[in-house]
Amino acid sequence: MRFIMAFALFFVLMTPIAAAQGFSVSSDGEVAGFKRVRVDVVFDSPPETGTLHFLVDGNNHSRVELSAGSSEGFANPAAGEWYDDCWTSNDSGLTWSPIHRDDHGIPSAFIVNQEDAAIRCDLTALPENQEALLTVSYSTDSGVESVELVVIASTIDVLPPPPPMAPILYAIGSIVLSIVVLFGWLRWKDRETRHRNGLAFVLPAVLALAILSFYPVAYGIMLSFTDAHDEALGDEEFNGIDNFVEVFSSEGFLRVMIFTLVWTIINVVFHVGVGGALAMLLQQKIRGKIAYRTMLLLPWAIPSYISVLVWKGMFHPEGMINWFLGTQTDFFSGVTEAQTMVILVNIWLGVPFMMMSISGALQSIPDDLHEAAKVEGVSDWGRLRHITLPLLKPTVMPLALMGFIWTFNMFNVIYLLTSGGPNLWSGPGGTDILITYVFDLVYEDGALGLAAAWSVVIFLMLMAFSWSLVKGGKATEAAT
Amino acid sequence: MSDDLASRWYSPFELEVLQKAALLVVLCSIPVLWVVSLRENGELLVLLGMISGLLSFKALSRENRDFMMLSSALIMLLGSLFLYQATLRGVAMIDIWYSVILICSGGYGLWSLSSSHVSKWLNGRLGVEGAERGLARNRILRPRWAGIFTHALLLHFVFIVMVPILWIIDVSLSPGQTASGSLDLSAWTLTHFSSVLEKDDFWTWVSNSIIISIGTTLLGLLLAIPAGYAFSRHRFSGHGVMMFSLLLVQMFPGVIILVPYFMVMKSLGLLNSWLGLILAYSVTALPFCVWMLKGWFDTVPLDLEEAAALDGCGQFGIFWRIILPLSLPAIAVTALFSFLAAWNEFLLALMFNQSPDMYTLPVGLAFSITQAQKWGDFAAMSLLVSIPVVILFIVFQKSLIQGLSSGGVKG
Repeated sequence: MRFIMAFALFFVLMTPIAAAQGFSVSSDGEVAGFKRVRVDVVFDSPPETGTLHFLVDGNNHSRVELSAGSSEGFANPAAGEWYDDCWTSNDSGLTWSPIHRDDHGIPSAFIVNQEDAAIRCDLTALPENQEALLTVSYSTDSGVESVELVVIASTIDVLPPPPPMAPILYAIGSIVLSIVVLFGWLRWKDRETRHRNGLAFVLPAVLALAILSFYPVAYGIMLSFTDAHDEALGDEEFNGIDNFVEVFSSEGFLRVMIFTLVWTIINVVFHVGVGGALAMLLQQKIRGKIAYRTMLLLPWAIPSYISVLVWKGMFHPEGMINWFLGTQTDFFSGVTEAQTMVILVNIWLGVPFMMMSISGALQSIPDDLHEAAKVEGVSDWGRLRHITLPLLKPTVMPLALMGFIWTFNMFNVIYLLTSGGPNLWSGPGGTDILITYVFDLVYEDGALGLAAAWSVVIFLMLMAFSWSLVKGGKATEAAT
Repeated sequence: MSDDLASRWYSPFELEVLQKAALLVVLCSIPVLWVVSLRENGELLVLLGMISGLLSFKALSRENRDFMMLSSALIMLLGSLFLYQATLRGVAMIDIWYSVILICSGGYGLWSLSSSHVSKWLNGRLGVEGAERGLARNRILRPRWAGIFTHALLLHFVFIVMVPILWIIDVSLSPGQTASGSLDLSAWTLTHFSSVLEKDDFWTWVSNSIIISIGTTLLGLLLAIPAGYAFSRHRFSGHGVMMFSLLLVQMFPGVIILVPYFMVMKSLGLLNSWLGLILAYSVTALPFCVWMLKGWFDTVPLDLEEAAALDGCGQFGIFWRIILPLSLPAIAVTALFSFLAAWNEFLLALMFNQSPDMYTLPVGLAFSITQAQKWGDFAAMSLLVSIPVVILFIVFQKSLIQGLSSGGVKG
């Protein structure tokens, strides 16, 4: 008898099948995919109401709630939408159907008192090619039963088949061909003039731009009307304006939009304001002007990703800023604090460029104007208001527009400082602006079609804004 | 009568300074109040300082002499109290800064209000002659104080700019990998630098970045110089449309290209390669380079070319022997611009080259800090990477600005 017990124990430890009184567990580390183990739990007798826990090396991994009743009001998401995929079966595991989930995503199975009930879960993110101790325990009102077994997740990465990329190559080929033909025709048209050879000089640049700028943009606009996804590249289908509907109806849209605008406007205002003020200060006759100018130039000269990472270190709870202020704050914990900090860092980065550009424009304002105004007894403020600012405007407006577009699309600062965090419950994080959110959509969700739709929305907004600004600028120029 | 008249068209410059000082006290109190509220002690003192600054700003006039003296003394006292309270719990830099401002402003108020000239004016005993002397005095004092304010303001900005740089130098020289450098100069070592220079990763990133940046520069120039020249000299069919499309590309935000760019590169098999990034960067910089070079070629006089043509020089010969040598300065700036753009680019490098042996410096550095939190090594690497770039920037600052503004403003 004892021999049989020992043998049973040996059996339990060595093979991935184990049984307790009420249910038996089997596992397979090869079918479910990369870093995954598939665990099947088959109930010998109709189960009571309770909770099935999966523990890996003693840590809670997943749980399934078993209850009587109906699945009404519960979601039934497809496999792959949640962290661990689970299925239920009512024929001891011959056929499986995806499990229902409540609002928090907890899998809930309605198989209490059913014959031949079984549950299957794919546990994810296990260390690959290592033994892990899996504990499956079933706790009910009448007690807890548990089973332990050793599992190994073998590293079979289930990659989707490589997508057909030929269409892109065909497209590029036809673009090249049509441009060459077009140029040939233009050359033929110009055959009588001395400008006929100019086209040959331009051809390489135009080809490069067409293939690597215009074609991707057109392709992106096309993608935004499809359901392209990272996992199924190449077999996307047109889905009309679904992506745009999703963009405008997603709860995060307004939030990201507002923060993007706040971020851009505050940054540009401070870049131009502080940069202009510094340029005017440096315009005066003061000692050590060159030294000041060179030092104030440094944030522009240092590669921006380095400055941003340095600021990240300075905002660290044990970093320089806290030492300087005598505090122990984590500046990126709250949403408002994090937003303030990313804006401050970007102001620091952007001021020197504006300072240099505006001081170039200041030097072109003739001194005579100021001298004449001084003689007339115009105050400093009046000279600034009526001479300097109007003369700066033609230079500053395009600069501000450029600054607007750059800041709108500034990726480094937010990605490196906060990665868009602090994370909120769903959708974009607290400091996500549009471009960082699009990046997340591509790289975390793989939703290429949706990301393309967001990009198109951004592009249209930027175009509309630049256009209105240019037009408004022209209108005011005409008026004055 | 006479003194009344004198005081109407004359007031000592000290009063103007005092007014600014009171405003300064109020303005400085706002950020300090926020910091103090983070620390949860000493709000009362800062609030009092702010209120008394505000009051003295409002009440600054000839009639309120006693009140002005009183509030100056109060501000000075508050400053000393704040410093004292700070020393009790460990003094931080900002405490010193704030109390110095309070003590100096208050002290200056007390000193200037009790100086003989000002007190004469306050008592109305100055007379016309005194007022005239005072006006002369104001003319001397005004630029002096303006200079002091300008320098103080600029020094604050320089401080804000330099602190991160000094911090990174400190962290790179301090032992350990923490984010807080040690101020102990005797403990400084060069271990971080030597360990970074011995790391293969670092040299992989450096060589990737150098190859990609130089490739971008060469390819960009190869495409941009002929195009800029042709756009400047030849009015061929489609000239206007092509120029406009160059502008249009400049207006595309990077995001819209992000996704399809990735797919195009993938289908061309250029992910995780040097060539992919070289192509992407040179095309991104291309419109700007073409515009900048076109602007330069426009300034090269046409007579030179015509003279050469008369002497029997062919079209290519003109371009090669005359235009190119004359345009070397513009070409150098364009080259520098594309080199720096490629050297500092982060987003495309992050997307296209995801295998560690193809990382460029920006991506490698970013990952070395987000994944490992080794601040010491990171600081040493950043210094090694930035110093050459910073030197380039400082040497070429004027031409870069000119290039940027001419290309950008027209665009």
